[in-house]
Amino acid sequence: MTFSLKRTLAIFQKDYKDVSKNMYVSFTVIVPLLMAFLYGMQGDMGVDMVYTVINMSLSLVGAYIQCSLIAEEKEKNTLRGLMLSPASTLEILAGKSLLTFVTTILVIVFSAMIIDYQPENIVIVGVAIALSTLFYIGLGTILGLVTKSVMEASVVIMPFFFLFTFGSYATLLAERFPVLKAAEYMPNTQLIELAKEVQTGAGFGDIWSYLAVICVWIAAVFILSYVTFKKRMMD
Amino acid sequence: MENIIEVQSLAKLFANQTALEDVSFQIKKGETFGFLGPSGSGKTTTIKILTAQMAQTDGEAYVFGRPAHLLKDPAQRGRIGVLTDNSGLYERLSIYDNLKLYCGLYNVPHSRIDEVLEMVNLKDERKKVVSKLSKGMTQRVTLARAFLHKPDLLFLDEPTSALDPVNSRHIYRGLDQLKENGTTIFLTTHDMNEAELLCDRVAFLNKGKIQLIGPPKQLRKQYADNTISVELDNGQIEVLEKGDKGAQRMYQLMSENKVVSVNSNEPTLGDIFVEITGRKLS
Repeated sequence: MTFSLKRTLAIFQKDYKDVSKNMYVSFTVIVPLLMAFLYGMQGDMGVDMVYTVINMSLSLVGAYIQCSLIAEEKEKNTLRGLMLSPASTLEILAGKSLLTFVTTILVIVFSAMIIDYQPENIVIVGVAIALSTLFYIGLGTILGLVTKSVMEASVVIMPFFFLFTFGSYATLLAERFPVLKAAEYMPNTQLIELAKEVQTGAGFGDIWSYLAVICVWIAAVFILSYVTFKKRMMD
Repeated sequence: MENIIEVQSLAKLFANQTALEDVSFQIKKGETFGFLGPSGSGKTTTIKILTAQMAQTDGEAYVFGRPAHLLKDPAQRGRIGVLTDNSGLYERLSIYDNLKLYCGLYNVPHSRIDEVLEMVNLKDERKKVVSKLSKGMTQRVTLARAFLHKPDLLFLDEPTSALDPVNSRHIYRGLDQLKENGTTIFLTTHDMNEAELLCDRVAFLNKGKIQLIGPPKQLRKQYADNTISVELDNGQIEVLEKGDKGAQRMYQLMSENKVVSVNSNEPTLGDIFVEITGRKLS
């Protein structure tokens, strides 16, 4: 498989220019920041509250924007042009994901600054958030590829937005409804649990299992998005 | 001369509908080949198969001597250019930024952008945003994009359908330049004048089957009737059969100074298409 950084950056630069003129995306980016501002006004926040904002940033910016960008490429028939060019699947997916990745990380950093979140170990939390961002980008890519328009993508993403922003609260009901124990293994819940452990002074040796679960989710969505993309190359 | 495209008994079925049936043809290097037929005759399906966007149901299709589906290989895709019926341009970006993306993808210097914009008569409009362009201008930008990397093989699906005659002429000049550089062109159109002007050979496609194939001149000769039309000074048209009898009548009219114009009664490609298929090309 070939990989050309030049081609990947060409797609990234195009997306940057395109998105900067896209009011819909600009508005979506602002929403988590507004939430952070509102939550931050309440004063001292627990890890669960902090990560509601961070998980919202991940699902709204990481998944939703990625999904919309891909769906728009399909709707406007521009993805076909990329597919017919010498760019490989990996270059196209990397180019399309780079802008979302950078934007998501920036939104999370600004949100954390607004709510004054200071993790005990910034490296571990940074790695976990970067990995989580990859998962949400993969999820957004799949949903973007299976939908036909931005409008449809906006509807399809909603259940996933609620699941990955507020789904971790389902674990509170796990004792009454054992089936909800499965929510413990969702990537958003794993991120929260990891952050809680980090606040109590845990190091890499203590939290590797959370990262491993998140990595399994990443592998699953990336394999699925690669297969979906390949299928979409053929009518 | 080597065949750039070779198609043998190609067939494509969609559910229970036959889109292509037993289609065979070859296209040589540097040739401009016209694929003519009405909407729904299978032209775009053929392009999709030849550019690895669709798999055939049966038969063989080779491009550059290799099975067409291998054009999925990104390295091979750099050798082809495709213009389809959908523009596929980024509407919020300028003409220049759209082409700049493809310079990056095809590893082409940015200086090439002005060259192709000159070819399609859009050099002064390079900063215009695509969403503000007319249909004809959008069509010309997509053509510029297809020309950008000087492909060995160019697929053009109705390239001048939205253009006025002046801009069509710009495109024809651009295609001539590409042809001079050895580009092979696969052109689908239902504009018979365009086909006559550009194509070395044409194939008539109807209901998924090739009905006729050959150079336009040869086909017109083959289907010409044995008459000429003479316009007389009184406005009447007299049809004369070729041969001694017609020649004598012609001599008589000429000596009486009654002839205004003489026209050969060769059919147009459109006439031939209607004759062999009973359908019009629109």
